[in-house]
Amino acid sequence: MRKPVSRTVRGLAVLGAATLALAACGPDTSGEVTEAEEVDVEGVEPADEITFWTNHPGGSADVENELIEQFTAETGITVNVVTSGANYEETSQRFQTAQGSAEVDVVVLSDATWFPNYLNGSLVAVDDLLEEAGIDTSGYVEALYEDYLYEGSHYGVPYARSTPLFYYNADHYAEAGIESPPETWEEVAEVSQQLMDAGVANSAFTFPPQEEYPAWSMANLVWAYGGAWSNEWDMSPLTSAETIEALEFAQEATSDWATVASGSPADDFSAGATSQIVQSTGSLGGILDSADFEVGTAFLPGGPGGEGQTPTGGAGLMIASDSTPERQLAAAMFAAFMGSPESTATFSAATGYVPVHQDADMSDVYAETPQFETAVNQLERARVQDFARLFIPGGDLELSQTLQRILTSDVDVAEEMEQLQSELENLYESDVAPEVEG
Amino acid sequence: MTTLQGADDPASPRAVTSSSVSGGAGDPSGDPGGDRARARKQAHRRRMSKNWSLFVLFAGPNILLILAFIYFPLVSNMYYSTLDWRLGSPRATPVGLDNYVRFFTSDSGLEVWRVTGIFTGGAVIGSMVLGMLIALVLNKKLPGRTAARTAVFAPYVLSGVGVAMVWNFIFDPTRGALSHILGFFGVASPQWYLNEDWALVMVIIVYVWKNLGFCAVVFLAGLQAIPQDLIEAATLDRAGAMRRFFSIVLPLLTPTVFFLLVTNIIFSMTNAFDILRIMTPTGHGTNTIIFEIYLQSFGAYQRAGYSAAIAVVLFFTLFLITAVQLRYVERKVHYQ
Repeated sequence: MRKPVSRTVRGLAVLGAATLALAACGPDTSGEVTEAEEVDVEGVEPADEITFWTNHPGGSADVENELIEQFTAETGITVNVVTSGANYEETSQRFQTAQGSAEVDVVVLSDATWFPNYLNGSLVAVDDLLEEAGIDTSGYVEALYEDYLYEGSHYGVPYARSTPLFYYNADHYAEAGIESPPETWEEVAEVSQQLMDAGVANSAFTFPPQEEYPAWSMANLVWAYGGAWSNEWDMSPLTSAETIEALEFAQEATSDWATVASGSPADDFSAGATSQIVQSTGSLGGILDSADFEVGTAFLPGGPGGEGQTPTGGAGLMIASDSTPERQLAAAMFAAFMGSPESTATFSAATGYVPVHQDADMSDVYAETPQFETAVNQLERARVQDFARLFIPGGDLELSQTLQRILTSDVDVAEEMEQLQSELENLYESDVAPEVEG
Repeated sequence: MTTLQGADDPASPRAVTSSSVSGGAGDPSGDPGGDRARARKQAHRRRMSKNWSLFVLFAGPNILLILAFIYFPLVSNMYYSTLDWRLGSPRATPVGLDNYVRFFTSDSGLEVWRVTGIFTGGAVIGSMVLGMLIALVLNKKLPGRTAARTAVFAPYVLSGVGVAMVWNFIFDPTRGALSHILGFFGVASPQWYLNEDWALVMVIIVYVWKNLGFCAVVFLAGLQAIPQDLIEAATLDRAGAMRRFFSIVLPLLTPTVFFLLVTNIIFSMTNAFDILRIMTPTGHGTNTIIFEIYLQSFGAYQRAGYSAAIAVVLFFTLFLITAVQLRYVERKVHYQ
C-alpha cells in the first residue's frame, strides 16, 4: 500500500517550487559576471524617436520643451518627455526599479545618483556615441564633463550643473563697514566678527543642516585647509589633520558667529536672518526674487591649503544601456544638443544653473544679473567631488549626519571623523568593493 | 494499478458485470435504494460543481488579485531578504540569514528598535489618552458638539503629507508660529530639526494630533454604548465622577481600548511614514522601522536585500504583537 504524501513533503515541494519561481523572477544569483557588451554604433542610423526621463531640474519644464522643439526641428527626432519624479532621488529610484521593464533612452541623473546606476550596468559609456554623432566634447567645462569619467570612459553629458557660491548681504556689509567679501576662511571669521559686533543680523554665517547637502558645500572648507573627504577609495583623508582642523574651525564658529539652519539656508539669508551663506548657484534666482536687500556674490574662500575651490554638482544626461544602438545614438545627439553653447545658455538663463559649455554666450544674463557672472567665472576653480560623497551609497548621508553632529554639539571632531572613516570603509567594503575590485 | 481479479472472465464465479451489480440501471429487479443513492451523489456532485463554478466566477478574480498583489510580493520579499542585492541590479548574491543577523546585531539596527519603541509608545499612549479625554468631553451635551466632533475627526482624514508640511511651518524655530508663541512667553524655541531628541518629540506630537480624532470617535462610540442606568445607579449610590469612570466606564470600555491598542500599535509602526519623510527627510533621530526600510533601499543606501529583511522583521513583529494581544489581552477584556 502506498504511503500518502505527508503535508510536510507537500509543503516543502510547494516552497521549493515557489522559490524556483521567485528565483526566476528576481536578480541573477548564479555569481556569473557578464561583461557589458561593447555597443558598436559605427554605421548605425539614429532612431527617429526617443524617450527622455526628467524631473525638470530648476523648474525647467518650459525651457526643456522649447529646446526639445528646436532639436526635433533640427534633426527630425521626436522626443517623448516623461516626468520621472519631483527630484533627482525620485528619478534615480524610478530608473533603478524600472530596469528591463520601461522604455527610457536618456535620463537626468545627479552627481550623487548616477554611480549606483553605473554599477548596475544600466548606463552606457557615451564616448563612442558622441564620436559617432560628430560631437566635439572639448568645449565642455572640463570639471563638469570629468565628473562622469570612471575607468577611462564618460557615462554622462553635463546638463543642469551647479556649484556652491558665496552669498553675502551687501547692506549688512555696508552697515558693518566691510568693503569687500572675504577671500579666505580666516577672513570669513574676521568679517563675521565685525558683522556680529555691528549687530546687523542674528548670525553672521549659516551652515546647512543635514538635509541640505552639507558635505557638498563644506567640501570647499575642507579643501581650503588641505583636507578632503577621500582620495578616490582611500578614506584616510577624513581623519587627516587638515580635515579635522577645518571642521574644528567650523565647530568653533557655531559657538561664536555662525549658526546651522533648520531648513534652507537660502530662506534664512533671503529673510535677512543671516548675513552670509554658501549655497548653490541654482538658488540665485530665488534669492534675488525674495531678498529686499542688495545681494552680493563671491568666489568660495580659500585657506592654508590654497585658493578656494568649488565642488561641482547638479545633474547630467545619461544614456540607458537597455536601449537599442539606434536609440542610443539619437539620445547622444539629444544630450549633445542640450549641452551645446546655445542650448546651455538658454537653459542657464531660465534656471540659474551654470552653462556647461565654455562658448556659451551669457552676456544678456550678466547684464541683467551681474551676480551670475561670479558663478560662471568661478567654474575655473571647479573641482570634481571626492568619491566618499559621490560613489559610496549612503556616503553623503553618513557625512551629513556627522557634520550636523559636529556643528550642533561639542562632540570631539577627531573621534567623530574616526568613526565616520570606519563606517565609510565598511560601506565601501560591503557595497562597492566587490563590484569595482572584481 | 489494482484490478478486480476475474473481472475479465465472465465464467469466473468472482466475475463482476454491470448486470450483476445490484441496482443496475438495466435491472428492473435492482435495489431502488442504490439508484436513489447514486442519484443523490450525482445531484450532490452537480450542486458542488455549480457551487465551485460560482465560487470561481465570483471569488476567483479577487483571489487572483490578492495572490498577485499581496501574497506574491510578500513571499518574494522574503526571498529577496536572503540576498545581498543593490536596488535595480540584475545580479545578487545569496547570503542566507546574514541580513537578519546584521539588523539584529548592528548599532544602527538597535537604534532603529529604540526609536521605534519610543515613537510607538508615545504615539499610542498620546493618541489614546487624549482621544479618551476628548471623547469624554464630546459625550457631554454641550452646544456645538457636532461641529466639535467633526473638527476633532478631520485631521485623521487629511493627507499626512499636507499635515506634515503645515506643521513644518509651525515648528520652524526661526519663523514658525510656535517660536513666536514661545517667544511671547520669553522661551526660546527648541531646535526641533537639529536636535535628534526634539525631532522625535516633534513627529510624535504631529502623529498624535493627526490620529487622536480616530481614537476619540471610537471611544465616543464605546461611551455611548454604556447603559446609562448603570451610571445613574452609581450616581444614586453617591459614587463620584472618578469612581464612576474607573469602576464602570473604563471596565466597560475595555473592548474599545483593546481594539484601539491593537490598531494604534500597527498603524503607528506602518502608517507614520508620510509624516516622517516630510518632516525629517533623512531620518534625523526619527528612523523608525518603517522609515529604515525606505532609507536602506530607496533613500540612500540602495540595499534592497537588507531592506527586504527589515520588512520581513516588521511583518513578523506585527504578526506577533497581534497574536499575543489576541491570545492574552483579549481574555482580560470585559465584553458586555
